[in-house]
Amino acid sequence: MSSSSPFIPSLEHLTRQRGVLGSLVVSETDGIVIDAVVQPSVKAPVVAALAASLYRRARQSAHAAGLGGVKYLELVADGGRLCMAGRDDLVVVLVTDTRVGVGLLRVELLRTAAELPE
Amino acid sequence: MVFLPLGEALRTRGQIDVALRVALRGLERHPYDADAHDLLARIYVDRGETERALDEWDAAIRCTPGHAGALKGMGFVCFNQGRLVDAERYLAEAAAASPEDDGLGMALLRVRERIASENSAPPSANAHDATRPDEPPTVIHEAPQDAPTSNGAPTGNGAANANGAANANGATKSEARAESAFAEGDAHFGGSGDPRLLFADLIGVADQAALLLDEDGLVLAGQYVVSDGNDVGAEVGAALSGISDEARRAMRHLPLGDWRTIIFETPAATVVMTPAPQDGLVLVAAAPEVPSGLVRRALESVSQRAKRWMEQLS
Repeated sequence: MSSSSPFIPSLEHLTRQRGVLGSLVVSETDGIVIDAVVQPSVKAPVVAALAASLYRRARQSAHAAGLGGVKYLELVADGGRLCMAGRDDLVVVLVTDTRVGVGLLRVELLRTAAELPE
Repeated sequence: MVFLPLGEALRTRGQIDVALRVALRGLERHPYDADAHDLLARIYVDRGETERALDEWDAAIRCTPGHAGALKGMGFVCFNQGRLVDAERYLAEAAAASPEDDGLGMALLRVRERIASENSAPPSANAHDATRPDEPPTVIHEAPQDAPTSNGAPTGNGAANANGAANANGATKSEARAESAFAEGDAHFGGSGDPRLLFADLIGVADQAALLLDEDGLVLAGQYVVSDGNDVGAEVGAALSGISDEARRAMRHLPLGDWRTIIFETPAATVVMTPAPQDGLVLVAAAPEVPSGLVRRALESVSQRAKRWMEQLS
């Protein structure tokens, strides 16, 4: 990833949080990685594709249900979490283990998403 | 505000204590909502606490001057207490505020007839002397007809006892409470086994909804009532059930194990969902201002209830 990317400082900040295995900025439309700071165990392209697909589906479903757009999405699994917050076509994705403090992480993620360039 | 139809449904089912809890919690969040005070007042009537009911209706009128439900309630309670002049005044104001309510018009007519009857009847008149041949025996609204029977006050004089045909007709409903006049149309809420109310006591916090969906996204239990009182559970369930399929697919490719919960926040609601038995889905939705931790906790209890219910079902 390019070190000159405007996303890198934010992603590095997120990845330094306890329990975070990686953070990515993903295109919701096509599911490709725009930028990422991840540990070696995290397969960024796979996470990006699946997270974008899930976020897109949630956004479409919420819209169909009359609930408006999705601001924040969290998928809790036995071995960790996927946390996402989006703005326009961009989605910030976090991959975490089970030790994460989700309250703080949610706030940081929403803040980062709000600062994404339009 | 979901708690209003929820509280009303619980009240008409006879779950008065749960309805009271729902109404009180709702009022904590919406202390200036006249409909909430009106609901609480009707619950107090059910509990036989008429003074508290009058206080709540008074609060409703202070929140929304001319609130028809509150005026109607105060009118019926006054009638029940034998305060016919006050009853007439409240019911007249309620009828003016809600002219489309035919029941109010008939109740008002009944009260005015009763006042006229009491004013014109000589103290020594016996029952037959006071009988009026034009008394409509069957068209009287249930509450004012039954109300005097329940406490005996207005029917304790000769003029009222003279309404032989009307009272004979009313006597068959003498067990009905005066409050039942407010419950028109309640029959659709169903009996105690109504699956729509399966989670009602668990999501007693205001502005929440819970649904149990089957593998096709069809509603098995619960309801999702929006501010206009409509249940949009079928629409919401059908739209949101697809998210779990997507999550299941994603989990096959990520080393995170099976998914347990999905939470998403929108401008209109916070929604949490978790898998249910037989590939079903349990979903709890709450207004955005409800703390998200509380919503997640509600999901746990709703999920356990759904599991037990499905075990019983199968």
